[in-house]
Amino acid sequence: MAAAEKGTPPTAAEVRRLHAVRRMIFLLLAVAVVAAVIVPFKLPGKPSSLARTVFEDLESLPQGSSVLLSFDFDPTAKGELEPMGIALLRHCFARNLHPVVMTFWQSGVALHKTMVERTAAEYGKVSGRDFVFLGFKPGDVNLILNMGESITGAFDKDYYGRPTQGMPALAGLNSLRTLSYAVCLAAGMTTEVWIAYGGDRFGFPLAAGCTAVIAPDLFPYLQSGQLRGLLGGLRGAADYELLVGTPGEATRGMRPQSVAHLFILGLIALANAEVFAAFLKKRRRF
Amino acid sequence: MWYKRTLPLLVVFVAGLVGFCQEYVAHPAASRLLEIVTTWFRIIGGFALFIGLWSLLHMHAGRIRRRPPGWGYSLFVFIGAALMIGTGLYNSGSGPLAAAPGEGSWFQWMYTYIQVPCGSTIFSILAFFMASAAYRTFRARTLEAVLLLLAAAIVMFGRVPISELVSPYFSKVSDFLMAYPNLAAKRGILLGISLGAIAQSLRILFGIERSYMGAGD
Repeated sequence: MAAAEKGTPPTAAEVRRLHAVRRMIFLLLAVAVVAAVIVPFKLPGKPSSLARTVFEDLESLPQGSSVLLSFDFDPTAKGELEPMGIALLRHCFARNLHPVVMTFWQSGVALHKTMVERTAAEYGKVSGRDFVFLGFKPGDVNLILNMGESITGAFDKDYYGRPTQGMPALAGLNSLRTLSYAVCLAAGMTTEVWIAYGGDRFGFPLAAGCTAVIAPDLFPYLQSGQLRGLLGGLRGAADYELLVGTPGEATRGMRPQSVAHLFILGLIALANAEVFAAFLKKRRRF
Repeated sequence: MWYKRTLPLLVVFVAGLVGFCQEYVAHPAASRLLEIVTTWFRIIGGFALFIGLWSLLHMHAGRIRRRPPGWGYSLFVFIGAALMIGTGLYNSGSGPLAAAPGEGSWFQWMYTYIQVPCGSTIFSILAFFMASAAYRTFRARTLEAVLLLLAAAIVMFGRVPISELVSPYFSKVSDFLMAYPNLAAKRGILLGISLGAIAQSLRILFGIERSYMGAGD
């Protein structure tokens, strides 16, 4: 029995064993993930109903509609949310919708700019005419309330310093009240801010994408109808890539993620086998 | 005392009351007022960025002066901040007031090749700690722990496409666990937090809660 379970401080030998086990786990996980990246194998791909709802919502919008994409993440969540954002942008551009991209995360602006510019270039889209990149402005709740009154009032210039007033991509979009659809990709809790002060208040349909750890927190809003759909973690991004028909980073990421999940489940089983063995040994003693 | 205590309380009460009443007034003037007030808030919010930066640098300057273990890392805060702020203000020679730096700028280069990989790495290594923690702590010693373990195992397995190769029911059960038991627990927490936030807002509005005014109030 480990010292921690007995309530006594661990011995030097136990500490050494713990460190050795931890390093072995790190090494085996790294080998498993790298192997899954290198060795190709096919996985079944069946998009979730939550991702399908977002996809069908965007499909149903008339061409030229404005879709607000709030990219509220920075490089720490790039692995999960960048492929999601790119898949959404590709869908918008393929359908001739006008993405209006903004962020509440100052540290993510340069990342989002690259995402938007590269994806727009794939489809030959022009800034200001086919899409708008508004960049960052401080204010969170107040910025949303401000945009609810006037988009061009809240963002009088786009990221490149051009006046937003009269921009073709913003034609017909005076405020959030006339917005066709919005998707918030969040690595924090900005989705809840968008729900309370955006979607609920100004009446536009809102969907969300988030890192896997946040997804469980957003389920109450799905059942209440405050969120139309949800793309959760890398799986959500892979689902959307499949729906759009452009498999990319997220789809490729499903292999290492599957292997990592199996590895962790194996570790949990191994740890509990030890517990079970100790339990049987104890019973035999009595 | 009146300037330090009564006046701030009065400002909070009036501002709160105006914000509250604005919700119930359909006149365009109310809408215009909201636009003006939220613009003010955003301007004030901009200054918070400078305060945040000052606070961060001040803390790390203190660490460098006191030299506790690991103080050398604080130097990197200053080096990183100086490089990013410097290249951002230089803006490829266009100056701080010109349009934001472009694709080939030093700022963009450092962001793409230093900040993005470092940020992604920090988040990625969580998987290693999670694997180690799962092995060391996820032990089924009580009935509650067994239930939690089973739910977690099903959700973990059901969330990856490899589960479809075993049985399609894993993802269905995983979705059920997320959409019902998880939702019930989350909603309870959410209602508790919301009620707490309303109570706290009322306390601030009526001057009962004064901790935001600083120590001693």
